[in-house]
Amino acid sequence: MSQPLGIDRVEGSDAELVRRVRTGDIGAYGALVARYRDRLGRYAVHMLGDREDAEEALQDSFVRAYRSLERCDDPARFGAWLYGILVNRCRTSGARAARRRRMFVRDADAMNGATHADQADRVEWSDTVNRALARLAPEYREAFLLKHVEDLEYEEMVRLTGAGVSALKMRVKRAREQLQKFLREAEHV
Amino acid sequence: MFDRDDDIVERVVRQLRQPVSIDPALDARVMEEIASDAAPLAAPRPWFRLRRWPWLAAAAALGAVLIARPWSGGSDSAANAFQFVLVAPQASSVSLVGDFNDWDPARSPMQTAQGIWATTVPLAPGRYRYAFLVNGVEWRADPGAPRARDDEFGTPNSVITVGGTGS
Repeated sequence: MSQPLGIDRVEGSDAELVRRVRTGDIGAYGALVARYRDRLGRYAVHMLGDREDAEEALQDSFVRAYRSLERCDDPARFGAWLYGILVNRCRTSGARAARRRRMFVRDADAMNGATHADQADRVEWSDTVNRALARLAPEYREAFLLKHVEDLEYEEMVRLTGAGVSALKMRVKRAREQLQKFLREAEHV
Repeated sequence: MFDRDDDIVERVVRQLRQPVSIDPALDARVMEEIASDAAPLAAPRPWFRLRRWPWLAAAAALGAVLIARPWSGGSDSAANAFQFVLVAPQASSVSLVGDFNDWDPARSPMQTAQGIWATTVPLAPGRYRYAFLVNGVEWRADPGAPRARDDEFGTPNSVITVGGTGS
């Protein structure tokens, strides 16, 4: 069973911040941006495989959300609503990015404190994972990230993606199978 | 969540759940873009044309950014509310001081949320000098607004001219 979802929790303070933004307090929106930037940024980076594209998608999603805030029917679930905007934005951006060579992101922070040997192993493993993830079809990558990395329930994924539960389960299953295959291949290179 | 023999996928998930660094200036870029939005959510259309500040992201990296926007009121009102926002994550207190509040830090303390300080003041048409007082001791001017020429006290001040009949 998955852990409680970050975006599925009722965040009273989210509702309060949304209320303040709606009454004209632009600073309150800054607090919402600060609250969600890292988690949504992680999804965008993994989905798009390029940090610059990811930050552009993230920025655009925050701006779109602000401009559409009146359409956020449940302010307590602002995070889930914002997530949906980002998922759609990544689909658009991903289609463009697919025409370019994908670049991969190493998290320098994750390397801090490691020995040289550890660091080399971790960098190699990180690159291997990124390459395998990039080989997945976008809809498989999306489903895998939402299910296993972002830890969403299928019902939430249905709301975000518009796909049915059966289709999503199939995508996650295929993603797992393909990742296992790609990583086994990488071990034998 | 995982089958017992799916260790390799579990390792992938652990790797992908690591935090990812996002440009800290992204917040300021978002705030700049929404502050320059021509159609604010809850306000009548502004009569004051907002300045655009492309330096904002760079300034944010230094810890201080001002966004001022008219937030309410029509052309027939004597004063319009302007919201001032300062991105200063390291600050413990910030006040907006200026001609409009007799340079009294106690009259316009800024409220913070996640290092973004904001306050709203009503401004009638006219020209005002202003600055931020950070942590009670540090004066900061708005890096994108014009500096006040008549800065007789030697502290960095900015100037804002509110449009209307008088400007």
